[in-house]
Amino acid sequence: MAFFFQELVNGLTTGALYALVALGFTMVYGVLKLLNFAHGDLYMIGSYVGFFVIQWFGGPNKLTIAVPLLLVIMFVLAALLVGGLGVAMERFAYRPLRDAPRIAPLITAIGVSFFLENSALLLFGAQYRVYNTSEFISLSSGIQIGSVTIDSVQILVLVLAALLTVGLRLLVNRTTLGKQMRAVAADREAAEMLGINVNFTIAATFFIGGALAGVAGVMGGLLFNQVTPTIGFIAGLKAFTAAVVGGIGSIPGAVLGGLLLGVAESFITGYISSTYTNLLVFLLLIAVMLVRPSGLLGRAQLQKV
Amino acid sequence: MKRSAIIAAAALGALVAAGCGSSSSTTGGGSASGTTKACVASIGLEAPITGPVAPLGQEQLHFAQLAMITDNLANKTRITLVQGDTQLNPAMATTVTQQFTSNNKIVAVVGPAGSQEVEAVGPLMDRAGLAFISGSATNASLTTGKYPTFFRSVSKDSVQGPQDANYIVNTLHPKALMIVDDQEAYSTGLVSAMVPIFSAAGIKVDHESVSQKTTDFSSLVAKVTPDTTVVVLPWQVAANAQQFGKDLAQEHKKAVIFGTDGLFSPGTFTISGSYVSSFGPDITAIPADSAIAAAAKAKYGTFGTFGPPVYAATHVVDEAIASVCKSGQTPSRANVLAAIKNTNEATSILGQPIKFDSHGDVVNGKFFLFKIDSSGKYVLVPA
Amino acid sequence: MSLDSPPPAADPQVGADEWVAREAGRHEYLPSWMGDTQRRWERIGWWPRLALAGLAGLALPLIGLGGFQLQVGIDTLVIVLLALGLNIVVGWAGLLDLGYVAFFGCGAYGFALLSSSQLGIHLPTWLSVPIVMIGAAILGLLVGWPSRRLIGDYLAIITLFFGEAFVEFTNNVAPGVFGGPNGIVGIDPFSVFGRQITTNTGYYYLLVVVAVLTMAVLRLLDTSRTGRAWRAVREDSLAAASMTIPVNRVKLMAFSFGAVVAALAGTIFAAQQISVFPTDFDTPILILIYAALILGGAGSIAGAAVGALVVMIIYDGLLRSPTDSGYLFYGLILLTLVVKLRPWRRLAAVLAATVALGLAAHAIAKAISASAVAGGPASTGWLGDALRNWVIVPANSTVLGKWGYVLLVCLLIALVQVKGRWRTILLVPTLCLASFVWETVLSAQPSVTRQIMIGAILIVMMIARPQGLLGSRRVEAPT
Repeated sequence: MAFFFQELVNGLTTGALYALVALGFTMVYGVLKLLNFAHGDLYMIGSYVGFFVIQWFGGPNKLTIAVPLLLVIMFVLAALLVGGLGVAMERFAYRPLRDAPRIAPLITAIGVSFFLENSALLLFGAQYRVYNTSEFISLSSGIQIGSVTIDSVQILVLVLAALLTVGLRLLVNRTTLGKQMRAVAADREAAEMLGINVNFTIAATFFIGGALAGVAGVMGGLLFNQVTPTIGFIAGLKAFTAAVVGGIGSIPGAVLGGLLLGVAESFITGYISSTYTNLLVFLLLIAVMLVRPSGLLGRAQLQKV
Repeated sequence: MKRSAIIAAAALGALVAAGCGSSSSTTGGGSASGTTKACVASIGLEAPITGPVAPLGQEQLHFAQLAMITDNLANKTRITLVQGDTQLNPAMATTVTQQFTSNNKIVAVVGPAGSQEVEAVGPLMDRAGLAFISGSATNASLTTGKYPTFFRSVSKDSVQGPQDANYIVNTLHPKALMIVDDQEAYSTGLVSAMVPIFSAAGIKVDHESVSQKTTDFSSLVAKVTPDTTVVVLPWQVAANAQQFGKDLAQEHKKAVIFGTDGLFSPGTFTISGSYVSSFGPDITAIPADSAIAAAAKAKYGTFGTFGPPVYAATHVVDEAIASVCKSGQTPSRANVLAAIKNTNEATSILGQPIKFDSHGDVVNGKFFLFKIDSSGKYVLVPA
Repeated sequence: MSLDSPPPAADPQVGADEWVAREAGRHEYLPSWMGDTQRRWERIGWWPRLALAGLAGLALPLIGLGGFQLQVGIDTLVIVLLALGLNIVVGWAGLLDLGYVAFFGCGAYGFALLSSSQLGIHLPTWLSVPIVMIGAAILGLLVGWPSRRLIGDYLAIITLFFGEAFVEFTNNVAPGVFGGPNGIVGIDPFSVFGRQITTNTGYYYLLVVVAVLTMAVLRLLDTSRTGRAWRAVREDSLAAASMTIPVNRVKLMAFSFGAVVAALAGTIFAAQQISVFPTDFDTPILILIYAALILGGAGSIAGAAVGALVVMIIYDGLLRSPTDSGYLFYGLILLTLVVKLRPWRRLAAVLAATVALGLAAHAIAKAISASAVAGGPASTGWLGDALRNWVIVPANSTVLGKWGYVLLVCLLIALVQVKGRWRTILLVPTLCLASFVWETVLSAQPSVTRQIMIGAILIVMMIARPQGLLGSRRVEAPT
């Protein structure tokens, strides 16, 4: 029984991480109908930002400031920088393609992904950068319920992900910006004719999506310790999977998809075998998609002739 | 409009002409009679410089460059290194190999890194008479005579697997163990060599498998049972093993990690109490290598085990070329191949002599076992 | 009602979509003189054009191709075949298939299992290839079956799963049969009309012939009822259904045909490589095929072929050699300037200012400190000599070069934002900085630069011509 709960905790933590990356992905899709394959690389840049912040303040062994302050700086800086990068990405690569057939921005996204990943390789080098989280956040801090351990980093991830999801939901449903985003997502031309500044709204969406990816990157670094230029690819793939399975364009769907993915991976590894984890997860998700063709929480799309 | 057309066409034409001119094969790349003239030659390097295992490939590239610079200074040669990025993909390795074989200036190749790449390019290298030395392809089947121009500077899985497995059985006496492969040829080869020995000794074996791209091991670690005292990780990525060890500690598991040469990385893998079996001693502990280690650290940062064997391989090629020049000939594929076959180094960066047997394996290659103490230092375990 | 002048012809016009344009014999040509050439070329007729292209392909080795160029040619032709097959699914039927490379892998592994010593079966080529192709057709039906219920991006994810599952499967399941990460080695060579093909030249010719035949078959498909049905389903599947087109069956046929072409490419690939490994069929190849198809123009046979040629020759051929990469880098920048800067006075001014700024900066740096220009440009030959007194390369340039790279990216983004005279002025230091960055860090790491350049090329080409080189602009129904 304890094993079940341990796997559940592990699964929910990684699932929360996937959910955060999926949220940014699904927001951009909702507004632009664009599958941004470079989103995973934003996650990777966020991880690097967090790493360099740690190095700036003395490295994991000899921190010059308190840990909570360090964490705040890491998250805020990652959110700002990666959000800005998202806006630049949109301005440079995607804006000229707003009216192009849907498949063209796919290739641009691939080009941006190549560019970001290999620029990181060029600038930062290929060697593994480690956060060494256990040096400044002790492994023994955390909760222990019976023989189930939840360490403080996992708690941090879960709490922060929950807060960000709620915050995003509030933003989209209660604020003017959120209303503008929903309007642009529904019908861009009409929104423009109603006086909404579409360029600004789309830029804001990319900023928020990028910020979420950046924060997720720092969390990934804290959880998994290692940062290389290639971690973005897997993160992007998981984000895409989680977002689509949950119903692309839907915010609660992205969260649900991410959690489902994380928990499924965890339980299949734990109870069946790690050799077939990826295969069986794919089969499970195919089954889910066949049962609910628009994703778990997606709205059935109205097809007009 | 016409004007821009003409300019554009002229530019493109110049580009294509220049490109074709430089990339087509030229005959006779050697220099004039090599008596007092400098010894000029090119070596190709095939490594996964970008792609999924870029950290390993870049390390190999850096050490190869370091060897080339050091040997050029020492032997007064002018050897250049031509990079070929294979991304650990055998089809790309084939393309890169074709690029090298049709470049007459290249007289030998260092790499490729993966055993499956060697399988893909072996016949091509043989047909071109090009010697190629790998610093990390350890599959036992590669030196059965299939690839007459293949050499490697490290020993093979069929030696390492049983040696390590027997040590575990006889010295560590686990009742149950978990062995995890990373879905690459290096890893699965070792696993298939070790598991039969464990089963024959009556140990309960849990064989798991993760991809090299995995970074989250918490679910796998949760599967470690209380009577599993040893976890065998024949992985190539030390950082992954470090994370695995952290997860073990976080979930309060008592198992000890036993790793192979991929984990040998004094800066990265520091879980106290772990065992690491490596084909070479810690080069940072060998006084003769201190200069190289310091230079590598200064220029490229921390390194692991994939660099030094490629350094050794490049050094072998450099010395072969230098000896060919010293005997008055111009380096060619044939005489460099012959010189490599006659390699007889008393010592190398790996702390061992290098001499190749008839199939390309290092003679008397052995594996050293290390245990990590509480300060993260690698202590040699006497045989 | 409209007070404005009619929109320029380049903008998509409501109601004038590809279907109508095609039926009326009009489609969107490349601009200015390139379009004129296209029109003249097309007057020959489709079949003679195919014959000419095929003859040109066959004649190429006779001019003298080195071993490497032949290999690049073979790789290119395999991607041409794959792009042609993907064109059926993505270009004609409009279904986003992200697992397409798995069919390629199935064809390769199928041939490897049937004609090698792995299972001891050594079926002759004329037997194993059709079996593999029929198997792939059935597999295509299976994979396409979810398309009955799923549309658009949801279908994409299922096909993506299939693609990923294939790599996992061949890597981990039944290593005794599929070889695991060690793959299958020792595959029999192709034997055509009794003769075995063992040299690269032989495979090159075989691939040219197969490509021409495939294009012929696809042309027949394109102009048939099935082709028209695919295009109808792509444009608007509901409307097509109400016109009695069996939409589900049509979609399945698209998957099937695409799978068959991919499997054929797979068998030839396996025979030529003599070995197959799971990593041969992973995402990077999928990205290449998509880039080739969309760059060339999805929906057009010639587009798929041309796109594959362009992408592979640049990526696999030119960019692999550092000197060629340098020529390509400077050449593309100059080309962009020539095309984009009108009138020619502006171009001349920018070039002159760039040269002047570089020389001045170099002289000043040299005067300040000799070590500031101690390093030389990384380019060799005439290019290096030309640049020696123009670009500043300090002795230890790596860190400076990296910061220069970041600054260059920022400048490029700024260039896009500003307009008019400021843009022209900003162009000059950007060009100097670009050369500096190239000579310091980018040439030092050719393997990484290659990827950066292909990424940049993809971005720029899609912005310049989003419908692809030979594609037509389409008006898409808003979803």
